[in-house]
Amino acid sequence: MSALTLRAVSKSFGGVLAVSDLSLDIPAGRITGLIGPNGAGKTTVVNVITGIVKPTAGRIAAGEHELTGASPEAIARSGVARTFQNIRLLHDQSVLDNVVVGFHRHETTSLLANLCGLPSVWRERDAFRARARALLDRFEMTRFAMARADSLSYGHQRRVEMMRAIAAAPEFLLLDEPVAGMNQVEADGLGAIFRALAADGIGILLIEHNVSFVMDLCETIHVMNTGRLIAHGTADEVARDPAVIEAYLGS
Amino acid sequence: MDLLLSYLPYVDAICIGSGYALSQFIALRAGLFSLGSAGFASLGAYTAAIALMRYAVPAAWAVLLGTVVATVAGVLMSVPLARLRGHFQAIATVAFVEIIVSLALHFDHFTGGPAGINGLPKLVGTWELVLFVAAVAAFFAVIERTGIGRAFGAIRQDDIVARSLGISVARYHRLAFALSAGIAGLCGGLAAFNSYTIEPQQFGFGLLTLAIGAVLLGGRSSVAGPIVGTAIFVLLPELARPLSDNRFLLQGALLILVITFLPQGIVDGLRRRRAAAGSGRKGGPEIVRTPAA
Amino acid sequence: MLAQQILNGVVVGAVYALFALGFTLVYGVQKILNLAHGGLFMWGALIGLGVVTRLDLPLYAALLIAMLAAGGLGIVLELLAFRQLRRRKGDDLSTLVAAIGANLILVNMAQQATNSQILGFPFGTFPIHIWRVAGLVVSLQTLVILGCVAVLVTLLVFYLFRTRFGAEVRAVAVSERTSVLLGIAPQSVFLQTFFIAGAMAGAAGVILGVAFNSVSFDMGEPMMLRAFVIVVLGGFGSVPGAVAAGLVLGIVQALAVAFLSSDLADTMMFGVLILLLLVKPTGLFQGFETEMRRA
Repeated sequence: MSALTLRAVSKSFGGVLAVSDLSLDIPAGRITGLIGPNGAGKTTVVNVITGIVKPTAGRIAAGEHELTGASPEAIARSGVARTFQNIRLLHDQSVLDNVVVGFHRHETTSLLANLCGLPSVWRERDAFRARARALLDRFEMTRFAMARADSLSYGHQRRVEMMRAIAAAPEFLLLDEPVAGMNQVEADGLGAIFRALAADGIGILLIEHNVSFVMDLCETIHVMNTGRLIAHGTADEVARDPAVIEAYLGS
Repeated sequence: MDLLLSYLPYVDAICIGSGYALSQFIALRAGLFSLGSAGFASLGAYTAAIALMRYAVPAAWAVLLGTVVATVAGVLMSVPLARLRGHFQAIATVAFVEIIVSLALHFDHFTGGPAGINGLPKLVGTWELVLFVAAVAAFFAVIERTGIGRAFGAIRQDDIVARSLGISVARYHRLAFALSAGIAGLCGGLAAFNSYTIEPQQFGFGLLTLAIGAVLLGGRSSVAGPIVGTAIFVLLPELARPLSDNRFLLQGALLILVITFLPQGIVDGLRRRRAAAGSGRKGGPEIVRTPAA
Repeated sequence: MLAQQILNGVVVGAVYALFALGFTLVYGVQKILNLAHGGLFMWGALIGLGVVTRLDLPLYAALLIAMLAAGGLGIVLELLAFRQLRRRKGDDLSTLVAAIGANLILVNMAQQATNSQILGFPFGTFPIHIWRVAGLVVSLQTLVILGCVAVLVTLLVFYLFRTRFGAEVRAVAVSERTSVLLGIAPQSVFLQTFFIAGAMAGAAGVILGVAFNSVSFDMGEPMMLRAFVIVVLGGFGSVPGAVAAGLVLGIVQALAVAFLSSDLADTMMFGVLILLLLVKPTGLFQGFETEMRRA
């Protein structure tokens, strides 16, 4: 797949136009940034792409897959994964189980097989667990495998969320403020992981308030304000753009 | 030996109650706010009873038919009900239970009306009931550890996250309705052939309360919970005469106390205490004993 | 004939509305589906009956005492069943179960008090006067019931929209957290709403108990069903919605009983309820704060 594309996407809630005529690309293998002041509509963009809300106008596609108007689960099954602004883990389950849930779209066993408890079901579960452990190793979280998800520190919980999102090898990954509330060291750690994921071929959309973090990682940055795209380009171009400066600092 | 035999009716009651409670349990596991087990139980019981009494269907087939009817009803009801959430779904399922009671009361040439159906043969004994509960408990324990259990768990805790992982909430809710209704219908059919008569009111609000109460009292995380909860509800009033005269008061007070002070239920609460004592004050993250799936 | 049925329906519907108002108030303010509301209604009727038969007081005194007592019961409900739960952050299922538990206790106590019998008011409790107005049969009872309901509803509206207490209640309904910041004590608001809900339910209990001359421990359950339909139709937390929906329900029910069968009336009502939940769960009116829970 070459890119996840949005063309002239708009979303209004009642009378409020949260997103207006937005077009952007999320190319595979690259990290694309999306920044903007609070209330600019960034999370709405993610919700529209992932099907939680239906766009009022416009088209969304991932390669040839038409995503406009599809259900969230269908969009997820097409290979679009996301993380959430607020951490949403399954709190009373272990870290390993939280990651294993992420493999759902790779399940090949039928509902009937699961109901009967056939051997294929257990083999599949063991395979998922093995893959989950591999992910835990990669993220240096192996010692937390059996720990309760909500007993972890904030930074570690973010990692679990990340692992769950990439478990089923998505083509595109939408990150909604993934390093909010982290210190520089933790954030840089995650940043390195994002680079590695992009190197693996995943197209990443990075939404963040931490502007320097975004400038560091992203080749292309889009800037939103009050639902519209006001600028896009490289980090330097965007930093010098007068519209962007005005949006952030006021005039 | 006689003393032992005199306890059999209690075992029967606990088994039948556990069946209804397990039906409620699987609905809650999947994140359904459905309280409709009593209605599906009624469908199963009446179908089995009518099949045997009117159409001379052999008992085993009659119970099977009852189960099928209840399951189909569950799948049909899931279509409109799955679109509701929270309180709204709860109210709709309560309404469903009452509709079944009304229908059973009304179509009296078929169902015997308020007097119900009498003279049912007692073909289901304690052994069959114990086997039934054990089989259902084992079945639920198994599917909890499969992909179905993983999906249910995700949907139950956070259905938006579940959908973002590609889990079709509608599909799994249909499955949960089917399972819940089927088990309730099977239990109803077995109960019909265990107790000589069935009448509409026994599948009303009282049974609804018992089913949800047993699960909340006993615990919602493992199949042991509903069974323990049912046992307490059945046995506690029998401990003393004043208790059995005020059965409802006891149940009501238990419900309020448990939901306030021990919301996870007895089985889970005990497990939590033991785990906390085990992992102790080492300061490490709390360990989850066994993987769920 | 039709007009007569409609009149009957309006009278019954008015009482249904009175009952539903308490239910919708509690939900609108505290987001609690108080399934024990029927129990308050039933105890209002029992206490009213007791006042007439044991204390030998006239009916209007019985009504007042029953309202106060049922209101007090409402406060007890809030204190014993819901306050602790709120402190421990109970979820939707928990409050529902606590309400079920409280109802069980109320019903059980009523069973003991009445020995599971159906009781009636003594003959002559309410004087019988009948007039013919424009071809309709109108009894004194009809007028008194309509009058009582009108007075109580007016008092409620006055309280909610013209007093400071009412403003606090409405503020908490919209946002408990903000109300606290504004210096409002939600605890006292919760007590007020439960008192009012109990009093209204108790009044409805006495009225219907006298009108149908039947008081029993299980008279609350069918009322709850009607309350469900009314709040779904009229909107959770909406006062005008509850009144309008109550009247509509009363009329529809009277017509259904007259022209169809009486026991199917209940079935039909449940069916309507499910249909409404599917089509428009938020009801026809805006409540203090409507909460649409749809997938």
